Amino acid sequence: MAYDVWDGDDEAQAGRLVPLYILVNGRTSPRNTNLDLATQVIALPVDPSRLELEYREIIDRCARWISIAEIGAYLHRPLTITKVMVDVLLEQGYVRVGAPAQQKIADRRILETVLAGLERL
Amino acid sequence: MDRKSVKVVVAGGFGTGKTTLVGAVSEIPPLTTEEVLTQASVGVDDVTGVEGKTRTTVALDFGRITITSDVVLYLFGTPGQDRFWFIWDELAQGAVGAVVLIDTRRLDTSFPAVDYFERRGIPFVAAVNRFFGECLYTEAEIRAALKLDDEVPLLWCDARDRESSKKALIGLVRHALARMPVSN
Repeated sequence: MAYDVWDGDDEAQAGRLVPLYILVNGRTSPRNTNLDLATQVIALPVDPSRLELEYREIIDRCARWISIAEIGAYLHRPLTITKVMVDVLLEQGYVRVGAPAQQKIADRRILETVLAGLERL
Repeated sequence: MDRKSVKVVVAGGFGTGKTTLVGAVSEIPPLTTEEVLTQASVGVDDVTGVEGKTRTTVALDFGRITITSDVVLYLFGTPGQDRFWFIWDELAQGAVGAVVLIDTRRLDTSFPAVDYFERRGIPFVAAVNRFFGECLYTEAEIRAALKLDDEVPLLWCDARDRESSKKALIGLVRHALARMPVSN
């Protein structure tokens, strides 16, 4: 029979035995659909000690602004799982997120800022 | 303070220098993040004859450029395999646009990328990567081969070179700005 779940075997070196999907209660996509792989995340000053290790690892990465893609890359977690976990932390008030990556109607001022920034590099 | 992220997609066929370009301009060494697909997400024909293959990992390379204290630019390379279009959709969603890298020895490998951004009306520039040596074609020939619209900028770059890669990004942002209604 074919498996259709993430079996977490990338984590085997760390001795992890619980599939990651259990940590997100089987959620397969974030409820906050504005979360993008470039969305910036920062930890709020809330004691995370009650959280499970996997969530605390995310909080530890968010002392400064960081993107969801970077969290996934540093913690070796698949993107969708990372997104869902950030979403859970957001709902529970442990983190705050920055403005979503540019919306459909792009903000001209931001693009001008980016252009000036690139020219300065 | 709010923190805004801006995305640029770096696309092109396999081996056209996407990660090289990201690495040339990124302030961090390119990072890799993965998306894991289960069998249900992959076309049925893709697993024919690949018994026991239930999972596919798609790797995405990306880099970062901090523009100001509240604006940060991310450069995402498209996955090597062209068929994972839904990942392209995720990368392109809300992006400024794309730099499509072109290898003149294999012009056709970048055609799916050109076609993807053209169809969706996403701003992009075509960047001919000079790394591959003397270019045998004229700009007109490249435009014709890739069916590039006249308004799409075509530029020459060396993806290994920071200044050159930076110019490709600047070209894209200028192009995206030019296409934007002034009233916005």
